Amino acid sequence: MRRLAPWLLVGVLVLGAGSLAESSWRRVRPSIPEIGRKELEPTLGQGVLLGVLGGLRTVVADIAWIRSYVFWERRDRPGCETLMRTACTLDPHARYFWENAGLRIGLDMAHWEIRRRGGYAKVPAETQERLFRQYGRRGLDVLEEGMAYARNRTALLLAAGFLAEGKLKDLRLAADYYRKAADAPDAPWYAARICADFDWGAGRKAEAYRWYRNYWETRMRSKEDGFPEDLIRLRSMESELRLGLLQRIPRQSWER
Amino acid sequence: MNASLRRTLWISRVTFLEAVRQRFFAFLLVLGAAMVLSSVSLRVFDFGHGELKFIADFGFGGMFFFGSVLAVVMTAQLFFSEIDNKTALTLLAKPLSRAEFLLGKFFGAWAVLGVFLVVLAGLQGLVLWAREQELIAMAEQSGKIPATFSVLGLGQLVLMQWLRLGVVIAIVLAISALARTFLFAVVVGSLAVVAGQLQWIAQDAFLRPTDSQAYAAFLWVSTRLIPNLQQFNLADALVLGSAAVEEGALIAVGFSGLAYLVAYLTLGALIFRRREI
Repeated sequence: MRRLAPWLLVGVLVLGAGSLAESSWRRVRPSIPEIGRKELEPTLGQGVLLGVLGGLRTVVADIAWIRSYVFWERRDRPGCETLMRTACTLDPHARYFWENAGLRIGLDMAHWEIRRRGGYAKVPAETQERLFRQYGRRGLDVLEEGMAYARNRTALLLAAGFLAEGKLKDLRLAADYYRKAADAPDAPWYAARICADFDWGAGRKAEAYRWYRNYWETRMRSKEDGFPEDLIRLRSMESELRLGLLQRIPRQSWER
Repeated sequence: MNASLRRTLWISRVTFLEAVRQRFFAFLLVLGAAMVLSSVSLRVFDFGHGELKFIADFGFGGMFFFGSVLAVVMTAQLFFSEIDNKTALTLLAKPLSRAEFLLGKFFGAWAVLGVFLVVLAGLQGLVLWAREQELIAMAEQSGKIPATFSVLGLGQLVLMQWLRLGVVIAIVLAISALARTFLFAVVVGSLAVVAGQLQWIAQDAFLRPTDSQAYAAFLWVSTRLIPNLQQFNLADALVLGSAAVEEGALIAVGFSGLAYLVAYLTLGALIFRRREI
């Protein structure tokens, strides 16, 4: 028994250390979002392991992204998508990867699939439309996922709005994305206008006018030249809605 | 106790001096430094990451990779040089216990890796600071918020990495105490590092419910025997603030690292006590 005592002590020490490590891992794990993602599983053999092993993740993400262009040129959908997802997974905070992966999947891959099936003349129009929607939805899913990780969401919201309108033909969904982008501090000038136009096109005319007007009054009027092009669009909305003089935006001193 | 400590420190000192004189150490230090410095010019290959993130990742990657290589190869080399040159026999003939010899080797190697990390982290800090100043000036002109890095976080990361390398040294010493050849110790030590880096997979699997008792038992044992080395890799969160680190989490990681270090050193000392030299 005396002989065994030191070995038992080592056993207890190792088990104690293991239990401590288990509790500490639970606490630090949320701080390392790159690891433990399902997307890494099929790419473990492609050098990604190096990135997961600590450090060099950015470099491996860049290499994976460059390599994805080779597959993109060959129109190899699985290869291209896998490597793009790998880059996104290895560096989830980089907006660039999410935005371009989402757009490439949403915009290009349906065309590859149509060509693979014999071309635009051979594939029925309904099938083409279904493929555009299917890949558009997948591109949107990637962009949505990226919004949870990337530091700058605005560009991802704009790309999502673009896909929702162009590929899914869902104006309401597109308007929702553009609205969120317009509300961001770094919103581009055109986001609010596109949002209002899509809402308008989707039949939510009164809501579109109300939101756009409020946006113009609170965020545009006081800036630069007061965004006259947006005011012109608002005036045309007022005319179409047949609003009374008192319900309209008061005439601006600089307005022609 | 004092005499034992003195003997251990004496072995550490000799080990440290022997290690820093090695060409291998100088070679890896220069390679690591080159990697840190080259990150500035290589950032043109960066795709939309924060620029500081690219520079930091490149440098920390070098620190992690070369640090691990140094911890495995240098430790095994320092241990086996004593055995192969028969100097261990001379040393152990004096009033020096085998545990003191092993501890001395550990502290000497750990100190060398401390120097390695401090030099590389210092360089990394300088490179990050210089680029941060440029980015701040550019951001002021364009009215954007500049990317910054935390010096305190860098210090915490160095401590975390030093602890991680300490655990690696302890494991390699335990393996060396058992191994007959240098090559065996290096290969098994390297595999242990890889297993430690991937231990979180078993840890995650263990937390998921399973019907197989045998599988659950295997995971339970493996998650305790193999140290989780991934938990020390918090470079992004600590230095660049990419994610929040829970309060007290670093202390918990520190304690678990120290516990593994003590456990593997004790194991190494036990094995070495029975070894024929």
